Amino acid sequence: MTHDLSTLTAGRIRDGIAAGDFTATDMAESALARIAALEGDVHAFNEVTAGLALDAAARVDDLAAAGEPLPPLAGVPVAFKDNMNLRGTNTSCSSLILESYSSVYDCTAVRRMLDAGAVPVGKCNMDEFAFGSSTENSAFGPTHNPWDLDRVPGGSSGGSAAAVSAGMAVLALGSDTGGSIRQPGALTGTVAMKPTYGRVSRYGVVAFASSLDQIGPFSKTVEECALTLNVICGKDPMDATSVDMPMQDLAATMRDGVEGLRVGVVRDLMALEGCDPRVRACTMDAVEVLAGLGAEVGEVDLPSCMYGMPAYYIIGPAEASSNLARFDGIRYGHRAEGAEDVMDLYLRSRAEGFGPESIRRIMLGTYALSAGYYDAYYGQAQKVRTLIIRDFEKAFCDYDVLVTPTSPTVAFKIGEKSSDPVSMYLSDVYTIPVNLAGIPAVSVPCGLVDGLPVGLHLMGRHFDEATLMRTAYSYEKAAALDMRPPLASALGV
Amino acid sequence: MSKDRLTTVLESWEAVIGLEIHTELTSLNTKMFCGCPVQFGGESNTRVCPVCLGMPGALPVPNESAVEATILAGLALDCRISRWSQFHRKNYFYPDMPKDYQISQYDLPFCVGGGVNVEIDGDGCAQRLDRAAVGADPDGTYTTRIGITRIHLEEDTGKMVHVGGSEGRIAGATHSLVDFNRAGTALMELVSEPEIRTPEEARRFAQKVRLVFLTLGVSDCNMEEGSMRVDANVSLRRRGDIEFGVKAEVKNMNSFKALHDALAYEILRQGDVLDAGGTIDQETRHWDAGKKRTSSLRSKEYAHDYRYFPEPDMVPFTFDDEYIDRLRARLPELPDARGSRYMAEYGLPKHDAAVLSGDLELGDYFEQVVEGVGVPLARAAANLVLGDFSAYLNAAGSTPTDADVGPRKLARLIQLVDDGTISGKQAKEVFAEMVATGEKPRQIIDRLGMRQVSDSGAIEEVVDRVLASNAAQVAEYRAGKHGLLGFFVGAVMREMGGQANPAVVNEILHARLDA
Repeated sequence: MTHDLSTLTAGRIRDGIAAGDFTATDMAESALARIAALEGDVHAFNEVTAGLALDAAARVDDLAAAGEPLPPLAGVPVAFKDNMNLRGTNTSCSSLILESYSSVYDCTAVRRMLDAGAVPVGKCNMDEFAFGSSTENSAFGPTHNPWDLDRVPGGSSGGSAAAVSAGMAVLALGSDTGGSIRQPGALTGTVAMKPTYGRVSRYGVVAFASSLDQIGPFSKTVEECALTLNVICGKDPMDATSVDMPMQDLAATMRDGVEGLRVGVVRDLMALEGCDPRVRACTMDAVEVLAGLGAEVGEVDLPSCMYGMPAYYIIGPAEASSNLARFDGIRYGHRAEGAEDVMDLYLRSRAEGFGPESIRRIMLGTYALSAGYYDAYYGQAQKVRTLIIRDFEKAFCDYDVLVTPTSPTVAFKIGEKSSDPVSMYLSDVYTIPVNLAGIPAVSVPCGLVDGLPVGLHLMGRHFDEATLMRTAYSYEKAAALDMRPPLASALGV
Repeated sequence: MSKDRLTTVLESWEAVIGLEIHTELTSLNTKMFCGCPVQFGGESNTRVCPVCLGMPGALPVPNESAVEATILAGLALDCRISRWSQFHRKNYFYPDMPKDYQISQYDLPFCVGGGVNVEIDGDGCAQRLDRAAVGADPDGTYTTRIGITRIHLEEDTGKMVHVGGSEGRIAGATHSLVDFNRAGTALMELVSEPEIRTPEEARRFAQKVRLVFLTLGVSDCNMEEGSMRVDANVSLRRRGDIEFGVKAEVKNMNSFKALHDALAYEILRQGDVLDAGGTIDQETRHWDAGKKRTSSLRSKEYAHDYRYFPEPDMVPFTFDDEYIDRLRARLPELPDARGSRYMAEYGLPKHDAAVLSGDLELGDYFEQVVEGVGVPLARAAANLVLGDFSAYLNAAGSTPTDADVGPRKLARLIQLVDDGTISGKQAKEVFAEMVATGEKPRQIIDRLGMRQVSDSGAIEEVVDRVLASNAAQVAEYRAGKHGLLGFFVGAVMREMGGQANPAVVNEILHARLDA
């Protein structure tokens, strides 16, 4: 029997299986049915893992039948961005160079989801190697926004966002290097979180920029976001940058309300020219809701964040140019035919395997690290990074949470920005400083403009995910928006 | 011949040599950034995992023991330990490097500065023409301090196997295979200052560094298996010049002799080129031990820009005083201190102390013997270990650890000489039997009936007989020809089958003849 996954939450699924209302297999089949119905229009997936899903669901059903206690994500259909390793799947990063690459081990965050009973339904489309903000830079074609199939879902985790938005998966994991979870979250009307750098192990997610990358969840509700974060966080011996820092039970602490919470609206970033005034207005309405709930609202400037964008486009590509060197055609991935010697093999394999945006970033990063340019580019960018961290530290002396829109615009048309990389890069102007500072941030749906979702961007102190969840939950409950895209609610399965 | 030519070249040219010594930390159980076992050999690509194969998404986690071993090495070699240090990525493409970057250290190595004293004696002294200026003894022996620039930690690469060409070289090969078993093994790199002036100094320096690493127990330092690899940078400058000449880097020396010979060859080669008015190319050269020459590496060289940047997959290291002191307390006794102790506590001559402390195993063996006989007999122990025992090791091609004659047996032998049971001369015979049969000294002495006679009554009897039958010589002796004493001793010993205690014989002869 199939169920409408666009209305079921993770908690409801687990409880329903425990109560015998339905089975995990029902849930897996529901997800697969919705994927079958919608995938042709949306193209959220690079690979649908029906076999893995039904196997995992059967294990949960066995547990339930035996009367065993069910883990927190028991029977919940989940999707993973296709840069996360999962044995039994390919991990293509939406690139031709890894098109046939079969994972030989599991990503820690993925493993933790599966150990918590989640049912993997597929690997999601993305911008190649996470380079992009629209999921158009996929070697396998763009993902379409379930709210308007002519529009992008954002990126780079656009497939994960679209899958959750359309109810093809209940939860999804993405990776966020400069906004790649939060921006598509905003553009698809989902709750999307980038945890503090070090909160979640990066082991097994194909690295873009190691000092910025962080895995995080997509969900329909804040509660599911909190639940998922509790599952995937924690020190991992396989990631030397993961941090051993206790995490509260976020689903419990999020109910504490925002009375007296100090909320700072980031005035200078809000005033940026490229920000759609209607998006700005939508964001301010959300701030009013928080004020109505007892939060103390003020304004703050983050002047150094204006330089976040150029700094990011030095540091990100620099690290990426090194991280992507291993895709050389020697051990795995695409290998060009007919190479004359090893250098020729490298040149041809990489030229054939990488798409244009990957090549652009590799070249940018290689240049920025070159002898004689290092100080002027990479060194300077690291200084900007330090200034941004100081800006945030200062702001967090006066405020507990900082607010901007997640994206300066709502979802744009497919093809609209693809010929202009710089205008595309501006999509992440609000999200990038967060990665540079390593702090946590969440995007929560806060309304529609022209029938398209807008995201409220909440930023917190290092390791203070609890306050973010509390703020997001309070807002979500008070605003009580229905963020199901028409396509998803019309489906009726 | 070549030594003479070397001297001739070195008369007009001074060699400037710096070494880079790569040492695999073979004492570690696991690789530098993953849990794969460290072991030489093994079936190709079996000691590998996603991390050391550079699979997508895998991350390095530093091996704490490797960091400790490097800091211990730094402390042992008088280096400063950086309070703040980190890894960098060295970016370049090569098939034996899984990630196409090597995790190494750049401007913030774990250890900086430092140096060792190197003693040069024997034939090698002659290579240093200005040895008088560096305080050489009349016999040429001198001590020179070689500075150490830095010691850092990095990961080793895999190994390429070229198939279809000659001798496994890349030239002419049809294809190449890669074995990643070695990839990711912790590799400690020591860089010396360019303060080495002769091939002999280079050899002694490398040997000293090896001895220190062996003493620390961080590596087996096996040059043949490649767990210790020494590369040399060498250039020539006119004597009196301050500017360095253009250097060549010489690789592939897999013994200390090869290091010495390669440098000697390279000095001659560069000297010839320069004397003929030519110039030296800055290049990497390969030592061919069979042909005894270096040749330019023909592989296509690309101008490398390694694009170093801080390794973002790891957080920087901070070492406080407490951490460093804790490691310092773990340092074993180092070779120089050991040699000084042998002189001060055991009264050994400098040369003996140097030889014993210059070989970790031999020194350990010697100390076990001393433990058996007691400090007052340490000199006797040193004489036997450096004499008959070392000769036996050489002849048998054995090492002290593997020797058939253990330190307890050797100690017993020394005691049997000391208590007068056998003479020193007999001891040599007993030692030869110990080697041949593996028997204990006491058993051999009993079997051969080899007791030393110290009983003065028995000796007096023989002495009287000898004196009686050599009346003419007795008269000559008494007339002042005291050199004849040896004749009488010899006669008595012959009479007693060599078993008389020579000290007692001497004493009785004196008593009779001088009366």
